[in-house]
Amino acid sequence: MSSNNVLGIIFSNAYDELLPEMTTFRTMGSVPFAGRYRLIDFPLSNMVNAGIPQVGIITKANYRSLMDHVGTGKAWDLSRKRDGMTILPPFNTTETGMSVSKLDALYGSIDYISSSDKEYVLLTDCNILGSMDYEDMINAHVKKNADITIAYTHGVPKQVNYATEYEFGDDGRIASSRFVGNFNIETNYSIKVMVIRRSLLERLLQEAHAARVENLESLIAMHLIHLQVYGYEQKGYLRVLSSLQDYYDVSLELLNRENMKQIFPQDKPVYTKTRDQVPAFYGIGSDVKNSLIADGCRIEGEVENCILFRGVTVSKGAKIKNSIIMQGSFIGENASLNCVILDKSVAIKPGKAICGADNFPVYVGKEIVI
Amino acid sequence: MAVKPECIAMLLAGGQGSRLGILTKQIAKPAVPYGGKYRIIDFPLSNCVNSGIYTVGVLTQYQPLELNDYIGNGQPWDLDRANGGVHILSPYQQIKGTEWYKGTANAIYQNINFIERYDPEYVLILSGDHIYKMDYSKMIDFHKKKEADCTIAMLEVPWDEASRFGLMITNEDGSIAEFEEKPKNPRSNKASMGVYVFNWKKLRQYLIEDEANEGSGNDFGHDVIPAMHENGERMFAYQFDGYWKDVGTINSLWDANLDLLNPKVDLNLDDDSWKIYSRSPVAPPHYIGDNAKVVNSMITEGCEIKGDIDFSVLFANVTVEEGAEVRYSIVMPGTVIKKGAVVQYSIVAENAVIEEGAVVGERPENMEDIDDWGVAVVGSGVKVGRGAKVAPKAMVDSDVGGEE
Repeated sequence: MSSNNVLGIIFSNAYDELLPEMTTFRTMGSVPFAGRYRLIDFPLSNMVNAGIPQVGIITKANYRSLMDHVGTGKAWDLSRKRDGMTILPPFNTTETGMSVSKLDALYGSIDYISSSDKEYVLLTDCNILGSMDYEDMINAHVKKNADITIAYTHGVPKQVNYATEYEFGDDGRIASSRFVGNFNIETNYSIKVMVIRRSLLERLLQEAHAARVENLESLIAMHLIHLQVYGYEQKGYLRVLSSLQDYYDVSLELLNRENMKQIFPQDKPVYTKTRDQVPAFYGIGSDVKNSLIADGCRIEGEVENCILFRGVTVSKGAKIKNSIIMQGSFIGENASLNCVILDKSVAIKPGKAICGADNFPVYVGKEIVI
Repeated sequence: MAVKPECIAMLLAGGQGSRLGILTKQIAKPAVPYGGKYRIIDFPLSNCVNSGIYTVGVLTQYQPLELNDYIGNGQPWDLDRANGGVHILSPYQQIKGTEWYKGTANAIYQNINFIERYDPEYVLILSGDHIYKMDYSKMIDFHKKKEADCTIAMLEVPWDEASRFGLMITNEDGSIAEFEEKPKNPRSNKASMGVYVFNWKKLRQYLIEDEANEGSGNDFGHDVIPAMHENGERMFAYQFDGYWKDVGTINSLWDANLDLLNPKVDLNLDDDSWKIYSRSPVAPPHYIGDNAKVVNSMITEGCEIKGDIDFSVLFANVTVEEGAEVRYSIVMPGTVIKKGAVVQYSIVAENAVIEEGAVVGERPENMEDIDDWGVAVVGSGVKVGRGAKVAPKAMVDSDVGGEE
């Protein structure tokens, strides 16, 4: 049971720039997903399900929605006297300025990290989607007596931020890392989830700050020779959200029951803030096919291949296909939507039509009225 | 000493609800599931919190395990508080011996010490048997304005049903002239809702006197209230307008659930200004499959629906397989309805399994003798075998065999 000896760190703002549409007024961690969740629910629940008792959430900007969502951590059983969840707001001094990189942000939280009594630290971003067994990863780390363990997945990286590929020695130790040259072939690429001894992390942060290294991966690459850095292969369903298109595609993948079972395993629930809304209501004229529907929806129109978040209204005669409709949005009578992402509280007036394409979904920002 | 609450609520949740048959075999009536994600007790608890009453004693007695577990520390209702909050009050052992709660008044009598700890001005007495949304703070204001000793909430019921209720005949100023308990020929249609506000000092005195009176049944409606009335205490009726339903029988529980689907019924649970809170299971949104057909129904998170659903309320994590039909029915959490099975005019309790081709319940139009018709009930955890039939009005609490 080594998980009890682990401090979890979640970067809520990391790679916000990959989803610029949705993160102008929120963090990556508070991007809504799967009808009733926010992206941070997944790493946070993975941590809780692994038995990690202490979690720090690093924030940078626009984190009001995140604070509103996680609250005191109660929904994750992380509202505790001992350990528990802490939001780490940006720690700016005239010397550090506004933290920009993940290393800067970590350095800004070094006091929090130092004051923890845990032996290990597990770090993750919020745009990695899947039910990961952190406990197994931590056990592997301890068993190998590793300095650092980095999770990777096998597949085709799509994005320059996920372009660190690894080669391994016989014992699974990472022998070399390099930049992916070709975005068309399958390889083992880093998903940036790592376990590290806390004392070593503190040392590396001091060093990086002094040497003005900004990239965590570069820092680790510099130490591959004299540190024991191991890879941990993350198998099973795992997706990196690195663009709006990814967000759209991965959301609609949820309509496959097999994917759904892997992301939401029976024995490892994904926790989230409850909103106490009524069950969804289906009216006389409703016709719903192959869709995920959250509580609080009122449906009187046609819905096919869609994800409806909590409290969405679909009026009579409206037709929605292949779309993702976020919390509290309203679709007027006889409106029609195809390949659309509506952010929260959007209103589509009666009779209006919006049509995107499956490789070019139309995104409508929060509270827009069309 | 913390700030003293003006009013605390005492919620009588010890009733068995025996007319609900197998549904209350293992759980007390207030713990009976309702409306897709609630239990009956969510209504008085949420009403308290929404009315600004944050100290609630819940008196349990019959099958308290699930109810205690459900209420827990009161967190879903914001009742996990340093000052006040929800307290489960079960009968306990005293020097003179252990005593069960003999009646509603005795239950409060046995907890005088609990109420005295808060020393409130008023005590609100509630029951865990009804579905309604009510602002108790307005009733307490009324009680204060009338300088009453006791205020009883009432609502006007249809005259032809009045004889089923405890009725009040009122004077012009709203004070109560007379009580009638389930009279054959009612002279009033103002029915008591079982919601009382008392001045605590006055109630305390009457509870002690009632306990000393050996002939008393220790019941509010039968003993304490008539005694107060006889002594000329100031007693008023407070009129409530809105939806109120006693879900004490299978038919009324079934009706009350289906009322949620009727736009003409004045019970809106989708009201941000008066939310009904509940301890919700953690489940992803529900899934509606390619060949499913869902109309005029309520479906809760975690369900997987591939069959036909019409005019029904489905609780969390219910599975309805391809070709199965659910009509005019209430299906409680975790139940699985397999391929081609038909569930109609029924209540299916938690975690039951309706095997392929089984038929539960019957349409009233298909009955030769309508008197034989009734809502069929399948108990929790019961398996209805392949192709088996559960007759209308039947209540099954053990597995029903089917074809092998």
